[in-house]
Amino acid sequence: MSTVYKHYRRATDLGTPEVTSDKDVTLTIDGKQVTVPDGTTVLRAAALDGINIPKLCASDMLEPFGSCRLCLVEIQDRKGLPASCTTVVAEGMTVTTQSPRLADVRRNVMELYISDHPLDCLTCPTNGDCELQDMAGAVGLRDVRYGYEGSNHLDTEKDSSNPYFTFDPSKCIVCSRCVRACEEVQGTFALTIDGRGFESKVVASQNQPFLDSECVSCGACVQACPTATLTENALIEKGQPEHHVITTCAYCGVGCSFRAEMKGEELTRMVPNKDGHANHGHSCVKGRFAFGYATHKDRITTPMVRESIRDPWQEVSWDEAVGFAAEKLKEIQKKYGQGAIGGITSSRCTNEETYLVQKLVRAAFGNNNVDTCARVCHSPTGYGLKSTMGESAGTQAFDSVMKADVIMLIGANPTEAHPVFASQMKRRLREGAKLIVVDPRAIDMVRSPHVEADYFLGLLPGTNVALINAMAHAVLSEGLEDEAFVRARCEEVAYRNWREFILDDENSPESMESHTGVAAEKVRQAARLFAVAPNAAIYFGLGVSEHSQGSTMVMGIANLAMATGNLGREGVGVNPLRGQNNVQGSCDMGSFPHELPGYRHISDPSVRKLFEDEWNVELLSEPGYRIPNMFDAAVSGQFKGLYVQGEDVAQSDPDTQHVEKALSSLECMIVQDLFLNETAKFAHVFLPGSSFLEKNGTFTNAERRISPVRKVMEPMAGLEDWEATQALSNAMGYPMNYSHPSEIMDEIARLTPTFSGVSFKKLDRLGSIQWPCNEQAAEGTPTMHVDEFVRGKGLFRVTPFVATDERTTSKYPLLLTTGRILSQYNVGAQTRRTENLKWHDEDVLEIHPHDAEQRGIEAGDWVGLKSRAGETVLRAVITERVQPSVVYTTFHHPFSGANVVTTDNSDWATNCPEYKVTAVQAQKVTRFSDWQEHFEKFEKEQIDLLQQAQNSSEKVVS
Amino acid sequence: MDVEKLVRMANQIAVNFQYDPSKKQAVDATLDHMSRFWSPPMREQIIVHFREGETELNEIASLAVSGLAEGKRHVI
Ligand code: SF4
Ligand code: SF4
Ligand code: SF4
Ligand code: FES
Repeated sequence: MSTVYKHYRRATDLGTPEVTSDKDVTLTIDGKQVTVPDGTTVLRAAALDGINIPKLCASDMLEPFGSCRLCLVEIQDRKGLPASCTTVVAEGMTVTTQSPRLADVRRNVMELYISDHPLDCLTCPTNGDCELQDMAGAVGLRDVRYGYEGSNHLDTEKDSSNPYFTFDPSKCIVCSRCVRACEEVQGTFALTIDGRGFESKVVASQNQPFLDSECVSCGACVQACPTATLTENALIEKGQPEHHVITTCAYCGVGCSFRAEMKGEELTRMVPNKDGHANHGHSCVKGRFAFGYATHKDRITTPMVRESIRDPWQEVSWDEAVGFAAEKLKEIQKKYGQGAIGGITSSRCTNEETYLVQKLVRAAFGNNNVDTCARVCHSPTGYGLKSTMGESAGTQAFDSVMKADVIMLIGANPTEAHPVFASQMKRRLREGAKLIVVDPRAIDMVRSPHVEADYFLGLLPGTNVALINAMAHAVLSEGLEDEAFVRARCEEVAYRNWREFILDDENSPESMESHTGVAAEKVRQAARLFAVAPNAAIYFGLGVSEHSQGSTMVMGIANLAMATGNLGREGVGVNPLRGQNNVQGSCDMGSFPHELPGYRHISDPSVRKLFEDEWNVELLSEPGYRIPNMFDAAVSGQFKGLYVQGEDVAQSDPDTQHVEKALSSLECMIVQDLFLNETAKFAHVFLPGSSFLEKNGTFTNAERRISPVRKVMEPMAGLEDWEATQALSNAMGYPMNYSHPSEIMDEIARLTPTFSGVSFKKLDRLGSIQWPCNEQAAEGTPTMHVDEFVRGKGLFRVTPFVATDERTTSKYPLLLTTGRILSQYNVGAQTRRTENLKWHDEDVLEIHPHDAEQRGIEAGDWVGLKSRAGETVLRAVITERVQPSVVYTTFHHPFSGANVVTTDNSDWATNCPEYKVTAVQAQKVTRFSDWQEHFEKFEKEQIDLLQQAQNSSEKVVS
Repeated sequence: MDVEKLVRMANQIAVNFQYDPSKKQAVDATLDHMSRFWSPPMREQIIVHFREGETELNEIASLAVSGLAEGKRHVI
């Protein structure tokens, strides 16, 4: 199957947003009968029928505004010339879009615009893709009577502070599309029109440069601008694209659909796809602009090997590299046993690649030692949702939020980590939905322009279960449960047990107050708001899962949703916001050591038989090691070989020093990545990875949506990632012969009931598919558990609150909690190699003024952060965003060493690390920590060893 | 592997099942969990440790490991 290429053309714009209505209206436009849903504008009705009425201030991404007066039409029996973008259709209406009178008016309008517009079309970056230019053509503008000598804005200065786009106000027509995009689409409200009449102009925040303003660089205004006023720098530098390919963002779990706009094999720009089902034409700074890493000079494009991690790297051919790796792995198995090696799949890679790595481990390595980075983020989500409802996935589509009346956001920070969904959520909140935020930190959603949480339950880190139990207690004790739902849909005995447990006084908001630090009455009020809402939806993130009781909390959330009847329809549900692009997919694809694809336990003989027949191999019936178990077994000498695809465990996993010890004890580590990441510094074989632009496949986002990833350029290292895995498998002696990832998807579909209807062909036709996709749901399933739960009846699980062992003491009196930031992604390997550094070039420590004062810490001071696991040094930011006795940091830069401090404590059910709670001490220091000094030394040594390889290959070439 | 860590993990599992309606159910749930999610070397090691006598395992975890030692597996 070949990539679908289309010639470049601007995305169609129907002028005003789509409306849905049960009623259709028929009208006549230019003599043609047109039928559209009631509430549609005349402009859109015409456009739907291929009649393009000139327009400038209207866009189908924005509510109509009616300011430019270019879209005027004549309507029979109506006076004057109404604007078609603000006029709604009526039955029997007769519209004329072209007449000498209209042409005259439109020409006059255009004449005014053009008289204050530079006439440098030929050298303008958007020449040929400019709506103003198009409209001048469309209205037949031939001459401008007002002259260019009068006062104008032609000399106003450009603002190029934003690294990705330029604001050239001399070209602005003050249509306010950018202002409205920032408000309506993005929800940031960073732009305004300042001044009146001729003086009016677009300004960011308090008339600041874009970079210093509240702008989050989402690009919505750039996309909305009909002129060259707001233009991508890439377009200015490279010129217009000549074709585009639809693909999917490789950053977060929102999974935005994009048009990769290309010039040959060069990516000019990424423009959010208006037909994208997850993002509807919106994007964030990462997907929209931060793709420069894909062609960064640090990319390693030749396979490399070495005997020991103190040796220089040697560049070799693919065959030599996989041959070397396979030999080593086989030797290890001979010496230490079949179970002494394993693999880690990546939530950044495609479904097909992930599937192949777990197949490699199970079939070629002959064990089940395969795990994925979802272990350290959402494994409790899978466990909790599967045990209560029967499926390890979120219950809704993102669009469902538009029907929610109450939104409860727990341990998630969507404006930073899931920005496009955050914009959608904010839109719903502006429409009047209520918001409850449960978080130890006052995230942006608590208060931002036009959004304010009705309840902010600022609990202490580590007390989620206490809080959810208290909410459930409030619901039950006040008789606010949905009895009918529970009776019809849930297991009765389990419900009664749970009910009795929850109603125990121990779980009352009053009893739990001393644990959570949240006033009982506030919890009761929030619980009431949630329970009585017609539709209440829960959204949660890693602030739920990354705890010693992560799984318990997920079950607590599911219990509350079931007890209040908030499942099985739109507007409700239990919705995990997944961190990386393919967390859902990597879990679906059988990456966990105990599960085959489709979440089926490895001990089930009938499931094993299915795979054994297809794979022609016998499978072990016992689960393998999970990632932390692999590290523990490595430290104690039982585990010796590891294949890591697209993961950076040395930076992302907790208790860095333990991880480093584990990685240093391996006899063969194979790392497949774009860059020499932290983990690769401990590797013996480096297989160069391919970026999402260099391969075909699929990603599955947080709403179970499978979306296509399409190759727009050849892989720099010659192989797509799945091809490298296949080569390794063949070298290990287990044959794999796929010629395209679509064949891998076909195999997944054959073996996995929830995927049985999925194929690349169908994806091309539908754009995306939400699994389950099978005979019962040929086009996918937006809402799950509609008539019954996947497991049949919903199961209430008893959720005792067990305080974590990680408690504050006099030695470690503060609690550290960790999180993410908008401009950086995970370990930062990609985003640190882009201009996103302008927003976040180091991780900092947030500390409350009270704690800072007690320690004599001032803003910008270096602070030593110490836990029982280790110590690191970060710069202090003093803020009331964190509560007293809680400190906060991010982990996007390796040198910050946030995970040197986090401990090996983990979720009881899944071993997901407890990143969110670490007891620490903070004090002012004057030098970096020992670990940081060691890190710098080791880093330098490893870069030298890499350069030696590159120098020697240069010599060979010359 | 560090057996103390395995003991800690087993205890943690047991504590989270402590409110199951009966002790037997809590023990079974703990045992079942360890069979489904722990790899055999981890189970073997905790069994050896359990047989050695001195152990920090709590009551439910201890009964669960003793069940594992008797060869009990997926009991739920
Ligand atoms: S880039 Fe986004 S946030 Fe910034 S001004 Fe434009 S719309 Fe607003
Ligand atoms: S910057 Fe562009 S979108 Fe904004 S008012 Fe000016 S022309 Fe319109
Ligand atoms: S990072 Fe997430 S929100 Fe941003 S463009 Fe990519 S998928 Fe969309
Ligand atoms: S497009 Fe209708 S008034 Fe501007």
